[in-house]
This record gives sequence, C-alpha cells and structure tokens, in this order.
Amino acid sequence: METRALGDTGQESTVLTFGSIALNWLEQAGANQLVELVLDHGVNHFDVAPTYGDAELKLGPKLRQYREEVFLGCKTQEREYEGAARKIDRSLNRLGIDTIDLYQIHGLEYEEELDTITADGGALDAIREAKDDGKIDHIGLTSHGDPELILDAIDRIDDLETVMFPLNPVVAGKDGDEYDYEAVLERCEAEGIGTLGIKAFAKGSWPPTDELAEADRPYANWYEPVDTPEGIRERFDFAAAQGLDTVVSPGDPKLVAMVLDAASRSEGMDEARQRALIEEARHDDSPVPEQLHH
Amino acid sequence: MDGVPETVTAALADRQVEGQVCLEAGAGVGNTTAGLLAAGAKRVYAVTNDADHAATVRERVGDGNADRLVVIEADLRATPLGTGSVDLVTAHGLCNVLPPADLDAVAAELARVAKPGGRLVVDDYAVPPTDGAVNRLFALENAAARVVDGRPALTFYPVAVLAAVFADHGWTVEHRKTLLDPVPWTEAHLDAHADVVRGYADELPDVIGEPLAAIAADLVSAIGSERTGTMYSLAFRLVDV
Repeated sequence: METRALGDTGQESTVLTFGSIALNWLEQAGANQLVELVLDHGVNHFDVAPTYGDAELKLGPKLRQYREEVFLGCKTQEREYEGAARKIDRSLNRLGIDTIDLYQIHGLEYEEELDTITADGGALDAIREAKDDGKIDHIGLTSHGDPELILDAIDRIDDLETVMFPLNPVVAGKDGDEYDYEAVLERCEAEGIGTLGIKAFAKGSWPPTDELAEADRPYANWYEPVDTPEGIRERFDFAAAQGLDTVVSPGDPKLVAMVLDAASRSEGMDEARQRALIEEARHDDSPVPEQLHH
Repeated sequence: MDGVPETVTAALADRQVEGQVCLEAGAGVGNTTAGLLAAGAKRVYAVTNDADHAATVRERVGDGNADRLVVIEADLRATPLGTGSVDLVTAHGLCNVLPPADLDAVAAELARVAKPGGRLVVDDYAVPPTDGAVNRLFALENAAARVVDGRPALTFYPVAVLAAVFADHGWTVEHRKTLLDPVPWTEAHLDAHADVVRGYADELPDVIGEPLAAIAADLVSAIGSERTGTMYSLAFRLVDV
C-alpha cells in the first residue's frame, strides 16, 4: 500500500489509516482477526479513542504483539489539564503500551474550547508534559465541523503536528467558509502539518429516527455509508487524491475489508473524475435553480 | 459566490479573469457569470435570449455587483455589444443548445465583439456514447423540438467540429481540457430535460402532447441517473484572419 509522509512528523503512514473504532463491535477473537487483516494489507497507522466503547481494550493484544509495526493515534475530548492527564494514562493502561505515537485533541467545535485547551491549566499542558515524559510522541487535533477553527488552532498551537477533518465529494462541492477544508489542506501543506481525512465514505445522514430507529440502522457509522465495492473505491480514490496524507477507514467492521481492498489497489483519480463526483453530489443539494447542463 | 460549479472553476482556472471585460454567451442561470465575478472580472455581460434566465441571473448575482454586471437579453447572433470590446468570452454548455444552422453565426459574433488577441472558453459535451440511456431522453427532446420548431433542441458537437467552426472566425485553440469524465446526469438534470419535452408537448394537440410528456416521465424514472460521456473545455485566442 502507498505510504505518504505524515507532515513533518517523520512518520511514513500508509494512505489508509485503520479507524479502530470498528473493533468495538466485535468480540475479541473477531477483533484480533480484523487487526491481522488490516496488517496483512500493510496498513501501519491506526487510530483509536477512549470514547469508542471497548476499542482500546480490544486493540490491545494485537497492538502489543505488533507494536513496532503500528503508528498509533489516540485522542482526548478533555479540555483541561486534570482530565487530559488522566485520559492519557487511562488510554496507555487500556492499550497496554508505554507510548502513544500521536495524541490528538478530539472533536474541537468551539473557539472557547480552544481558549480552555491553550490556557494555563488546559489540556495542552498535560499533553506537552506527557510528551516530555515520553508518553506521547506527537500532538494532533481533530475537528468535524469548522475549518476556520482548525486554522485558528494551527495559529495558536505552535507544536501542532497533525489535523484530522472530514473530506468527501459532498463536502468538497459545498460553498462557503464552513466547508473550506481546501484552505486547511493548503495551510497544512505549507506548514508541514500532517492531514488525516475522515467521513470519506459518508453518503449522507441517516433518515430521521421516526423513519428509521437507531437500533434498526444496518451500519454502526454515525452517517449512512457508501457500501458497494465500486462506491468505496471511488470514495477512497477521491479522498486520497485531495492531498490528504492518509484516509481513515469507516467505523463499521463490515466495510473494512472493502476499504482495504480499495486502498491496496488504488491507482489515483484524475481531476475530471474528481469533478464528476463533486458535480454529482452538488446537484443532490443545489442552492441554484436547476438547468440542463453542468 | 454561491454555487459556482467545479466545471466553471476548472475551465477558468488558467484564464486571465481579474480586471477583464467578460461576456458570458448564453448565461443560463449565471453559473459562469458567478464564476467570472468571483474571479475579479472588471465587468461581465451576461447575454441570454431567455427572459426567465435573465431574471434569474439578476436575482442570483446582481446584489453587490451593480457596477460590474450587465444582463442583456439578446440574440447571440447579433448582440448590442461594441466591436472589439470584450477581453474574455465564455460559452459554457452553450453550443449543445445551438442548432447547427446558428453555430457559425454565433462564432462570428463572438469574434466580432472580442478584442484582438481576446480569449474564448467553450465548454461542452462530447457526443454521448451510443449505449448511454440518456440518449433516449435526448432523442425524444429533439423529436419534440423538430415537430414544434422544425429544429433540434440539442446537438452534441465533437470537439474537432467545434474547433473547426470557431477557427473559421479567427479563433485558434490554445489548449483542451477534460472537465468531466464521466458526466453525472443526475435525476435533476434529467428532470430539466424532461421539462423541455413537456414544454414542447404543451404546444401540441393533447393527442400527441400527452403521450410525449408521459414518455419523458417514464424515461426519467427508468434511467434514474447515469454517468456517461465527457465534458470538455476548449480555450481559444483570437488571431487575425
């Protein structure tokens, strides 16, 4: 599988990162098998979080077995020192390892959170302290909703080394600053910050719960995913062609094998096809009156 | 600027737009006009022969662009624009709705209004592959148009044909680019084409018009959506002939 430099971290990550939340839905034996399958495809970058149910615990055995082969990202939603320090130790314990390669401030949504995180006594103090103690190697950030906030975070966190954000043809086709992840990609490229793409396989929101109860959804994802080999290959190739360093696999284990296959066989995507996907998605939710042509 | 399609952005990407006097020939809903204004055009003449489209363009991009946007309702074979007055002409998705008999006159008029050394961008569809299901809808649209107007509604020109027609009026191809491959004909696009058929059907006696409209509706639901064919962009420069 193709590898790309993860910004200036020194890590060469496979273009697919394994979203280990998929392990949460499996028994331990199945989780072990899935990790073996992922490693068989050459994937060397895993991502996990303490909020993903039992994913840390289920990843632990195989992670310890193959620790040297895996670059591990983990996350915290804590915003203050005490909580973040506690979560780092808790994740290390649950994973059963000594060092997390990339520790990410998770799900940044509001400017005030950034204030808290970067203030004295904020989560960053704990993360930097853990870095000094050798518990983590690199510092990252994830945000699902606001490219401008990511740019602010890059301005305000000098030692930020990676960012994780959504990117797919639906997002790429929307106008307005709230969807301008292209600006984030450009900024990261210029500053040597690694980029991880999420929601690459999102088709759309689930129907309202009065139409489809949460318990009746066929996939564990927070969104309705594309789920055909062709659709998955297309979405992977699109995301990988946007300039991301690596694309995170979807959270449902039923989709992972298809995604591994797509990433292993990827041959890139030319611009005319990328535009075709964006145009197709754009017309699903167009603010402009419809007309005959594209 | 809301809703500038990727096709427009890609076609304009390597063209000088900032500070230029531009003409969108066949403005439609103003997609390219929006792209030209967003890219810093000094002035944009949005020319269309359709009053509804003219109103749509004004409504969509008129706010805040009063000093840069001029929407003109005119026939593209004879516009009120001055000779040699435009730096950059765009014809995005225009030629496929021009009957062959009109194409040459439009190419001549665009050459007349362009400054010497002026630029032209023509974006259009290659002839769709014969196995494309959308062809059935396009054929129906053309059949209806011929019955009502005596001319086709849609003509897909091979890239070499368009290049040759424009070359006759001094337009030299600078480069060619593929904008879409494949072309995503979404349900919304197919509906728009079915609307054209319904428009023609309304002008025919019910005994012909009603089944025509019904066939169009059936085709849209049978096709659903389809990815087929390509959309290309030709960039020209005006040279003396």
